[in-house]
Amino acid sequence: MSTPDSELDKHLAALFGGLDTRADFDARLMARLRVASQTDATEQAMRARERELTRHRRAVLELQSRRRLTMGLLALDALGISLLLIVAVITAWSRFGGEVIGISRQYGPYIALWLAVLIAAVPLLGIWSEQTRSPSRLL
Amino acid sequence: MELVRAERRDEAIALLLPAFRRKVFGLAYSFLRDRDAAEDVAQEVFIKLWRALPAFDGRASMSTWIYTIARNASLSALRARRPQSSLSDAAVMDTVESSNPVPPADLLVDRAAILRLVDQLPPKQRQVIMLFYMEEQSLEEVAAMLAMPLGTVKTLLHRARARLSASAGKMSATA
Repeated sequence: MSTPDSELDKHLAALFGGLDTRADFDARLMARLRVASQTDATEQAMRARERELTRHRRAVLELQSRRRLTMGLLALDALGISLLLIVAVITAWSRFGGEVIGISRQYGPYIALWLAVLIAAVPLLGIWSEQTRSPSRLL
Repeated sequence: MELVRAERRDEAIALLLPAFRRKVFGLAYSFLRDRDAAEDVAQEVFIKLWRALPAFDGRASMSTWIYTIARNASLSALRARRPQSSLSDAAVMDTVESSNPVPPADLLVDRAAILRLVDQLPPKQRQVIMLFYMEEQSLEEVAAMLAMPLGTVKTLLHRARARLSASAGKMSATA
């Protein structure tokens, strides 16, 4: 004779013992995994492309910043050279003969003008070349 | 683990599936009490596993890891769907009947009544009862699935069975 507890066990085991997924569970899961796999591959490719674009943008910005720094240094360099030149001319002025002074009085304004144009042109040319260069050509 | 390390996730899942499909489904079902929802959650769990396999470092056992994912997914699904179904709903009855297609004749009569009684149990006791009888009465496995100490599972099972016995006794007395 069975006890009430063993009867209860029997009922509960019959109720929940055979509980399982539907027969097509594995097939459906594998199909979903295939889709997920393809989606993952596409997403990975997109993420890689975005990473590459970010890296490229960062490199371009870095290069532009370096170029700007170089141009700034070049401008300072030109200024320094011109100052040195002026100091040299002033120092040597008293030693020049009358002929040289005469020529310099005649052509001095033109020489000074061309020198100023030359000094101003160096950074301007640099800025112009920086602006006309496309980012893709920078790398 | 070797398959995981070799990034052969599909093969790893194909190995895990027969071992854990029913357990994951049962765990989800014990939370959700809805076959379709439990199957959906079980599928989600295996997809999550498949995605997370490369990150599995083997510090915890694979089963602990899988049960944790299954519990979290079930709780999320439970929060997302209100109101809850009940074990004695017609759909749930169909589920249980379809999972046991040829029950003994004397069990058929009491099935709905027992389901109603199980449904009236507190959630933790109900889960323990369902998983205990689903998992061929292994307390250790139920404890691992629910992340509960073995003693707690024993206590919950004892209380649930006492409550069910008392209710069943009352039912047969009134019948």
